[in-house]
Amino acid sequence: MDFERDPADDAFREEVRGFIAEHLPGELAARTKLGYHPLKADTQYWTAILHERSWSVPHWPAAYGGPGFTPLQRHIFEEECFLAGAPALSTQGPFLVGPVIYSYGTQAQKDRYLPGIRSGAEFWGQGFSEPNAGSDLVSLRTRAVRDGDHYIVNGQKTWSSEANLADQVFFLARTDTEAKPQKGISFFLIDANAPGLTVRPIISLDEGHSLNEMYFDNVRVPVENLVGEEGRGWSYAKFLLENERAFSAEVPRNKRYFERLRHIASHELARGTPIIRDPRFSARMAELQVELETLEFLTLSALYETREQPSTRPVGSVLKIRGSELQQRLLEMTAEALGDNALPFYPEPWIDGANACPPGPEYARGVVGELYFRRATTIYGGSNEIQRNIISKQILGL
Amino acid sequence: MQFSLNEEQTQLQDSVRRWVRKNYSFSQRRGIERSEDGFSRAHWATMAELGWLAAAFPEEVGGLGGSTIEAAIVAEELGRALVLEPYLQVGVLAAEALNRIGTDAQRASLLPPALMGETLPVLAHAERGAGGELAYVVTSAEPDGPSWRLRGTKSAVLAGPMAHSFLVSARTSGAPFDAEGVTLFSLPVTHPGLIQRPYRTTDGQRACDLILDDAVATPADMIGGIGNAISGLRAAHARAIAVLCAEAVGVMDQALWTTRDYLLTRRQFGVPIGTFQVLQHRAADMYVAVEAARAATWRVLAHLDDADPDARDDAAASAKIQVGKCGHFVCGQAIQLHGAIGVTEEYVIGHHFKRMMTLQQICGHAEQHLRRLAGNIAAQAA
Repeated sequence: MDFERDPADDAFREEVRGFIAEHLPGELAARTKLGYHPLKADTQYWTAILHERSWSVPHWPAAYGGPGFTPLQRHIFEEECFLAGAPALSTQGPFLVGPVIYSYGTQAQKDRYLPGIRSGAEFWGQGFSEPNAGSDLVSLRTRAVRDGDHYIVNGQKTWSSEANLADQVFFLARTDTEAKPQKGISFFLIDANAPGLTVRPIISLDEGHSLNEMYFDNVRVPVENLVGEEGRGWSYAKFLLENERAFSAEVPRNKRYFERLRHIASHELARGTPIIRDPRFSARMAELQVELETLEFLTLSALYETREQPSTRPVGSVLKIRGSELQQRLLEMTAEALGDNALPFYPEPWIDGANACPPGPEYARGVVGELYFRRATTIYGGSNEIQRNIISKQILGL
Repeated sequence: MQFSLNEEQTQLQDSVRRWVRKNYSFSQRRGIERSEDGFSRAHWATMAELGWLAAAFPEEVGGLGGSTIEAAIVAEELGRALVLEPYLQVGVLAAEALNRIGTDAQRASLLPPALMGETLPVLAHAERGAGGELAYVVTSAEPDGPSWRLRGTKSAVLAGPMAHSFLVSARTSGAPFDAEGVTLFSLPVTHPGLIQRPYRTTDGQRACDLILDDAVATPADMIGGIGNAISGLRAAHARAIAVLCAEAVGVMDQALWTTRDYLLTRRQFGVPIGTFQVLQHRAADMYVAVEAARAATWRVLAHLDDADPDARDDAAASAKIQVGKCGHFVCGQAIQLHGAIGVTEEYVIGHHFKRMMTLQQICGHAEQHLRRLAGNIAAQAA
């Protein structure tokens, strides 16, 4: 154990900061910082810029086109991007399906799909949950029946994040109804425009659209789109979800939230003075700061653990619980700081219509919508209650 | 940056863990707690001999050249068994105060015997009403010819009754809260004018108030320079907080696993109570809290050598807050999950809670540290 700082890391931070300052348009940063669902065009624009610098998949191994960052460099990189207001990379491709493809996919699948994820050209949607398979994902019922060179897929998926933006979709389907539930599931990839695949919007509490239902009606999926082995899909899904949890601490995002809270609390007045000077308010902010500082070291230790020795403990569950709860608390304090400015519904500014310009400062716009949407963070990727089951079973042996 | 232990650190951890396992069962601990001294001089000698006191100090003062990380490794293992010997008070706080404040000659003469376990210096700095502010020193040192007459009362002198000498802070100039004007003196316990009011702490340790009743200190008793002890005391306290946090991680981690074992064996309603999901989730939350406390401890260890002492002390404050909160939750729930046996004196789990209580109270309570960080936030309004 040692915590000595490497001056090279400071130099790296400067390099990243300089790159962002040079390439990130101010208008785009301002739009991102409002806190709405990012526009696909914005995410693609920024991903393409990072791709030119070979930084678009900061967590991937160099063998698959990653930049070969050290864990700390990766953390610095993501933090600088977030604090500067760069659009987040799409979760589904770079963070979820990408690592599954490079870990378990065929050479043909790697050649076909990884370049589009790296460049941002192809967006992915997720088809895991079903109306009756949420926390109990393993009971999913979407069927894939082999028919010559294809599987015929029928079923319904829900909470399909970004399926509305997707060019490709990854999903789980049951290929064997006789086997034990975990053994009969397979992992597939399919073109989002395949005949028989229908995507319908689910509007979330923020009145935004990133969630969807997906209907599979005799969708023909070529056998070469099966990832890994038939019947092993559950283990790939667990691998993916464990990755998702490791990222779901989202320290860089939480830092951006904290900075926004600081900014808003410095400008919003309570009894005539900035609310940040209220001793009770600043003490509660300090408590969140402590949680954030702790979370950062939890995350760093997890990043180093995966590099030096693969984790034997589901540390992702700890990160997921603490990171998601902190996000919600930061957003709630921000809304509180906004006072009356937290009341209006502020639609996404690029959508025309009623209520397009309610009163209130620009910085208020995305806060409460984000607060509503991020109630999902303690639910997705395995609800926090499922994470507690994982900890009590896998670590504590209860 | 590296989070896993290197080979030497692993050996150190193993060595402490093995020793604790052999010498510090709960019943062995009880024997030591009830002995006249309240700690074992033989154990202290062993701890010194094995290099645990020297681990974190530079070689020129008789140390082994490690850093506070080594002290944290030792403290975590000692915390698991609620070890009573004054590692934190003597091995870290007093030794660091000497190391940070003493002249080179004093460091060379006073530290080696302390790190060898031959002498037990104890810091007598805290005073009632300080509210966690280190510069709050009312105890006065009035000039008397070339010497000073010390008057005042030092509180919470943990391990005081074991001390060979006291490192007493007193005000040679200025007013309470002034960062300047505090001087450290080293006085043997037999020094005229030192009156101990000894007591046993709730967690079974020995402590005292130290009354300075016209104790005369000569220039030869002065540690370091005149009037400038506070910055060294701050540095020593930041290190003590880091080690205290590591001890707390040991205290709470063991409380968690003792509770886990109890959940697996205790049967009610015909089944082990660990099969109930409400208790599984509580235990999971305890685990999450232990991991958070561990991370907070890493963070303060990473900031101890910050060039800016304010940044270092902010990190110490942050860790003290986080670890206190997590430890209180874990040790409190450890009692709760044990049920009534948890509130008995004869069973170990409540003693983890008691140790955690003491660790929360000393070196500044979380609320006092929170006030510091809140002040920073208010001052940095963007």
